[in-house]
This record gives sequence, C-alpha cells and structure tokens, in this order.
Amino acid sequence: MEDILEKIALCVENGKINAKSPYPPTMRGQDGADELTEQALAQGISPTDVLTKGLIVGMEKIGVRFRDNQVFVPQVLMSAKAMSTGMAHLNKYFNDGSVQRKGKFIIGTVEGDLHDIGKNLVKMMVEGNGYEIIDLGVDSNADKFIAAIEANPGACVGMSALLTTTMANMKVINKAIKEKHPEVKTFVGGAPVSEAFANEIGADFYTDGPQQLVEKLDSLIA
Amino acid sequence: MRTWVEKVIADKKRVAMPVMTHPGIELIGKSVLQAITDGEVHHQAIMALNEKYPSAASTVIMDLTVEAEAFGAKIIFNDDEIATVNGSMLKDELDIETLEVPDLNEGRVQEYLKANRLTAEKITDKPVFAGCIGPFSLAGRLYDMSEMLMLPYLNPDAAIQLLDKCTEFIYTYCQALKDTGVSGVIMAEPAAGLLDDDTCQAFSSDFIKRIVNAVQDDYFAVILHDCGNKGNCTKATVSVGAMGYHFGNAIDLPTAAKEVPADALVMGNLDPSGLFRMGTPETMKSATLTLLDKMKAFPNFILSSGCDTPPHSPFANIDAFYEALDEYNANL
Repeated sequence: MEDILEKIALCVENGKINAKSPYPPTMRGQDGADELTEQALAQGISPTDVLTKGLIVGMEKIGVRFRDNQVFVPQVLMSAKAMSTGMAHLNKYFNDGSVQRKGKFIIGTVEGDLHDIGKNLVKMMVEGNGYEIIDLGVDSNADKFIAAIEANPGACVGMSALLTTTMANMKVINKAIKEKHPEVKTFVGGAPVSEAFANEIGADFYTDGPQQLVEKLDSLIA
Repeated sequence: MRTWVEKVIADKKRVAMPVMTHPGIELIGKSVLQAITDGEVHHQAIMALNEKYPSAASTVIMDLTVEAEAFGAKIIFNDDEIATVNGSMLKDELDIETLEVPDLNEGRVQEYLKANRLTAEKITDKPVFAGCIGPFSLAGRLYDMSEMLMLPYLNPDAAIQLLDKCTEFIYTYCQALKDTGVSGVIMAEPAAGLLDDDTCQAFSSDFIKRIVNAVQDDYFAVILHDCGNKGNCTKATVSVGAMGYHFGNAIDLPTAAKEVPADALVMGNLDPSGLFRMGTPETMKSATLTLLDKMKAFPNFILSSGCDTPPHSPFANIDAFYEALDEYNANL
C-alpha cells in the first residue's frame, strides 16, 4: 500500500499527469497520478489515505521546492494538473462525505481587476493541499465575498489584486467582511500588495507566495 | 543608436529613462482609454511628459494587449486603467494550427504606429522608444497564460508553432515601428521570466533573437524588458543580442548587470508600485540614491523604473526620482 501511495506522491511532485504525458522525460511511459490513483482505489486503499498520504504529500513537496526557488511556476502548474487528475477519482467520496477536506477557502480577484494568474496559482496550491476552494473568479465585490462567507461558514478568505488602482478595493471589501463577520480570517496578496498594506487595511494576513499561505492556513486549523 | 549607447556608457554622469507615460496622460487631462485608442492623444501625452521631465529618452505606453487584439483576442477596456485580455481565444492545439497571423490593420495597431510616428517627428534631440510584446508573453495572452507555461513541456511542437506565428507578427510590427522613425523598441517579455533558464532560452530568447537579428542595426535598438525574471533566467535573457536589457524590481540589479555584455545597456529597476505609486518623496529619493550607489561599478547603467509606472503616481515622487539623480551627478 505504501508503495503505490509513494508513487502517487512522486507523480504529483514531478507533474506526471498520466501515462500519455511526455513530462517529466525521466518518467516517460510510466503511469501517472491519474492511473495510479485509480489503481490505489481499486486495491481497496481508502480514499482518505490516497488523498492525505499520496496526493497531498506530492503537493506539499512541490510547494516547498517552489518556495525555495528550486522549481518554477510551470512545474507547480503541472503538479497541480496531476493532482486534479487524481482528485477527479475522489470526487464521489467528497460528495458522499466519506472523505473530508481540511477546510474551506474562498478566493477571488477584487472588484475592478481582471487578472487571475496569481489567484489561480494560489487556488491550485491550496486545493492541492487538501482544502475545498470556493473560487469567485475575477472582479469580485464585497457582496460576492460576503455571500460566499455566509454560504460557507468557517471558511477563510483570500483577496488578490495585480493593479495599484484596484488594490484599494481590498480595503473596502475587507472592511465590509469584518463588519459583518469579524471572526473570518482574511488574506491579501498580489504583486503590489505588502505586509504594511495588509496591516493598514486591517487584513489578518499578507503572504508572499502560495506555500506561505498554505502553511498559515494549516497553522490556523491545527 | 549605437552611438547614443556608446555615449551613455562613456559619460560619467548617470541618465534616467523611466518607463512612464501615465503621468503624461494625466498632465493633458485625458483618460487611459483615450490614450490607448487614439494615437494623437497618446502622442500628446508623451510630449507633455517630455516637456516636464528630463528623461534621456521618451517611451510610449507599455500596452501588452495591442498585439493580442490584432490576433482577435477579446480586450476589456477601462477608462482609467490599462486594457486587459479577457479569457483565451485559443482552446487547443488545433486552434494553434489554424491560427492566422494578422496584418497591421487589425485592432489598434495603426493608432500605435501613428503615436510613434508623430512623436518621432517632434522629438529629435533624444531617442524615442516604441513598445511591443515578446513572443512568449503574446502566446500566453492567446492560449491562456497557465496553459502556455505548461505547453513547452506537454507539447513542445505546438508551443513552437504558436511562438513562430507570434514571432512573425511581432517582427512585422517592429519593422513598421522602425519605419515610423523611432530609435528603437522596448520589447516586454515578462512571462518568460517565470521559466527556468533552459526553457526561457528555447521558448523565448531564441525567438526574440530572430527579431533582433532582423530589425536591430546602428540606428534602431531593441531593449528587452523582463520584469518577471528573479534571476532564474538572466543568462537566456541576455543571449538575444539586444542593445539593452531592462529589469524589473524583483531582481538584484547588480547581480543581473554582471551577466550583461559591457557594450549593452542595463536599465532598471525601482519598484513602480511600492515607490512611484505608493511611496513618498522621501522613500523614492532614498531608494533612487541607494540604487545609483549600488550600480556605481556599471558604466552601462541607465536609471529606470522596474516596469511601467502605474496611473496616479504622484508627481512629487517623480520629482524626487529626478532630484536624487541630480544630487548623485552633482557629487561625482
């Protein structure tokens, strides 16, 4: 059992999506996260073990390597793709409640801003580390965030902005969230955003990259 | 241009060339939308800025949607902010195969050529730099940036096919920009900065090199701008043979400068958001002096912003940037 879970983790870490995928060249022709996840479930390994001892382990490893500048954005994207291919086999277990995620994370690019590369990277990393994602997409206003919070009690919130003109909207959204739901933990991030800005607008956390955000989320639920 | 570059390198006094047009748009009381859709307004904004500040060269708006729009990408316009590509127009490899390279009559290309032509006619005492996007960044705007970042690994042939088409268009556009009489082009290739050095070389720099070889000569320079590079692909970046390299604020500039050939310019890299837009005159001046000091050992350095300065950057901060330059030069 341990062997196949280790292989799943290795596939996710190295972005080996399926047997057809030519990447990475060192794993060419071998099964990927897709086939191995299916095989593990067919062998009777519990979906929870497949998730926590296989898929998530791989994402944790690539997250650390990304944080340490050992790999770059494309490698993380391919790991996330391998992860989501494996996760597709677990959907029915999530739906019937037999597998639990660590928590929920609401994420969106703030009002006026249509950029989503950074937001999507964070989304993939958080999802790959075992959280359910509620993705509000781009151009999301305070009402949209608050509606998502009310539909998903206990969720943390992440706001993204690329532009200096739109990051000002983080202040408006954060204020609206805190007025209605002061218990909700809010995160801000994006190219022009800084720790000082997060403090200024009253957001709970600023993180400089997706792995930092995952580590902070893990510490909040620990 | 070769002579200008040599003169800059030989002169002990530093010069500055921020990538900056938004303050010019504000000076003439127009909106970003007006400037990016009307070559005459765009030109007036550059002229206003040229009169107000002693930049060593004039630059046009860094608008990375013009080329994608020419290919047919949907663009979202905003009165007060630079335009954005909406979604991805290419869904799969078949779309790449059937994609046609547009001519220069599509979208706003002619308005940009007009802005460059009018400015080159009026500003004759210093270089005027046009702007264009780099092939990898353009491909990302057409195919979806996340998908394009993975394509070199998952289907390198399709990636090359798309990059060939992007390169063909950018080459034609650069040739037309050259014909307007401008002194060169700043090619923005930020997405390639997200790649490792080998991938950046094979899927960005090798394509840019083709354009440089075709359009650059003693009278027309290519300046390659990559604000995404954090030091992971500098070797590939500086391999293209450009007359100058413009770096973003994510990189340690003295470290990057060591890799740039001594006869090419190194430009950068003050934080456009944190300093120009959100800093104070004090933080702006202090950071500028610090950078000038750090770059003392590099005669080929031109002081600049790390990217296009955002709309609503306070004039007091821009003043402080130039004050710092004057102070530095006065103490040489």
